[in-house]
Amino acid sequence: MAVTLQDSSASAVIEARRAHNEKLSRKADQTRATWFPLTLLVLLAALPLLQFVGNYNYVLHLVLFTASYVAMASGWNILGGFAGYVSLGHAVFFGVGGYFSGMILARYGISTLVTAPLAGLVAAALGYAVGMVTLKVRGPSFIISSIALLMIARILFDNWHFIGGANGLTLPPNDLSVQWAKVPYYYAMLAIAAFTVWSAYKIKHSKFGLGLRALSKDEIKAESAGIDTRFYKVTAFALSAFFVGMAGAVWGEYLTYLRPNIFLLILISANMVLMCILGGKGTIAGPVIGAILIVALNELFVATMGASEINILGTGLVMAIGLIFFPLGLVGTLARSGKLPRVLNWD
Amino acid sequence: MAEIVQILILGLALGGVIALMGSGLSLVFGVMRIVNLAHPSLIIGGAYITYWGFKSLGIDPIVMLPVAAAIMAAIGVLLYRLVFQREAKSAKYSEMTVLLTFALAMMVEGLLGGLFTNTQRVTSPDYATAAFFIGDVFIPKGQLYAGIVSLTIIAGLSLFLKYSRLGYAIRATTQNREAAELLGVNVQFISVLAFAIGLALAGAAGSLVSFVFSFFPAKHWEWIAMLMSVVVLGGMGSILGTVVGALILSVVAAFVGTWIGATWSTLTFFLALFIILLVRPQGLFGEKPEMA
Repeated sequence: MAVTLQDSSASAVIEARRAHNEKLSRKADQTRATWFPLTLLVLLAALPLLQFVGNYNYVLHLVLFTASYVAMASGWNILGGFAGYVSLGHAVFFGVGGYFSGMILARYGISTLVTAPLAGLVAAALGYAVGMVTLKVRGPSFIISSIALLMIARILFDNWHFIGGANGLTLPPNDLSVQWAKVPYYYAMLAIAAFTVWSAYKIKHSKFGLGLRALSKDEIKAESAGIDTRFYKVTAFALSAFFVGMAGAVWGEYLTYLRPNIFLLILISANMVLMCILGGKGTIAGPVIGAILIVALNELFVATMGASEINILGTGLVMAIGLIFFPLGLVGTLARSGKLPRVLNWD
Repeated sequence: MAEIVQILILGLALGGVIALMGSGLSLVFGVMRIVNLAHPSLIIGGAYITYWGFKSLGIDPIVMLPVAAAIMAAIGVLLYRLVFQREAKSAKYSEMTVLLTFALAMMVEGLLGGLFTNTQRVTSPDYATAAFFIGDVFIPKGQLYAGIVSLTIIAGLSLFLKYSRLGYAIRATTQNREAAELLGVNVQFISVLAFAIGLALAGAAGSLVSFVFSFFPAKHWEWIAMLMSVVVLGGMGSILGTVVGALILSVVAAFVGTWIGATWSTLTFFLALFIILLVRPQGLFGEKPEMA
């Protein structure tokens, strides 16, 4: 008697919870403005048509540059935002992706647009291997180990003659006219950025993403709740490296040269962190907003003052102010106070 | 044999300087749980203060040392009051402060680059390029003086920590913050003091570094991982550990640099950091597995 009562009440509770969850997700679907990012994407995809009426290479470059950082920041967000492991070494995967595809282009003439996913896989494999080692420690120790990773990579790349050492590699430019030379990379980078944002959304709303968020709150509790935390965080590391590696591959051919002091810069890692923090760590729209803000700010600094020192000083200043006054970032702060405009609610 | 002694002496002299560079980092971590990524950039700040004194006023770098230390200590008090005090209640305190000090490091780098340009600098007092000879072994005076001054400062610091009342209070705060507060230690004041001492050590190290290494504003990225490996090997928060770690690693790096190649000697530090974090995250003299 008692047993059946318990059984039926338990299933009733589960039923009620399921109904409630469905109601919540329906409500979330209604408030989510999916049309906004899609419209934005269509508009950006149509942007190269401008080249028929004039020369808008600078505009294309800016969008491409922003898209590359959208992909990198959103990729970083999978590890840093969802799982809570802040890495300052992600520039390594940018460099590895760039060099892998760049070497194939230099040796066999296969465009990086084709090999970019492969470069992403190589970066992911490296991320997996590194994650197996460094994700044993967390907090400040992990951050320091990620800086050490970047330093090791920089020394190795500077001294590895097969890939050009400190002088780097020069890649053949494509044979399109100046008007259209940027367009293939533009579309490739846009596609990578859109794919990354979409994947980040899918990951956040999967059981895997739920596990990552759980372990970012409290790893021991997550472990005792049955989450294989080690597998989860190492996979998150590999996934985030994958997207950064793809962006690196296309960026290398776009620049037409690869050099350790362009790819393996701590400033690039710092930018990814900065974009996520400014926009909102752990949100989907956050890294996108952050990337747009930082690129705009960078252009402003360079245009008005022109010196790279000012740029570094400004980046540091913006980072410090953001950390002190808006630790949740733009999207996070607005969402907490319930003022997030619907067009920015991508979660 | 003479070669081994030679490498050993060069390694130990450099190790002394690196120990001083790392000791401030270790002290600040011990008392406040702040991993100060800006520490090396502040060392370079101290080096530039010394450089300025040497070039425009002709003051010897070792004489400039107290000046650089005092300026850095003042900056430390200011920074702590303005920035780190308000972060003390933040939930992700240690992670927050790492990112904040990272931002600070970038700001210092940008500021120094703007003020002094990005060319390599070095102060060149007479002894920086002179050397003694004992048999076949040559001992560069600059590195020897720097090593001796460093170890003297660290010895002074250890005596201060061990025998003065403020030193007791600092060590008590390192061991257990809450208990120290219960026993009547003004933890807030001790934190400011320790942060100021840590930065003063950075300034002092900067003066010595200015004639041992050549420096430019972005150089601190190379040093942060090097100093971290020294501090982590010794055990974060332990000054003795930092000295031992610095001496061990710089001797190993000196051997690697001579026998394998100069570019690989810096790699020693970074690889060591990786290995230590894996095998024994609390380091040789540390007791705090909570860092892991």
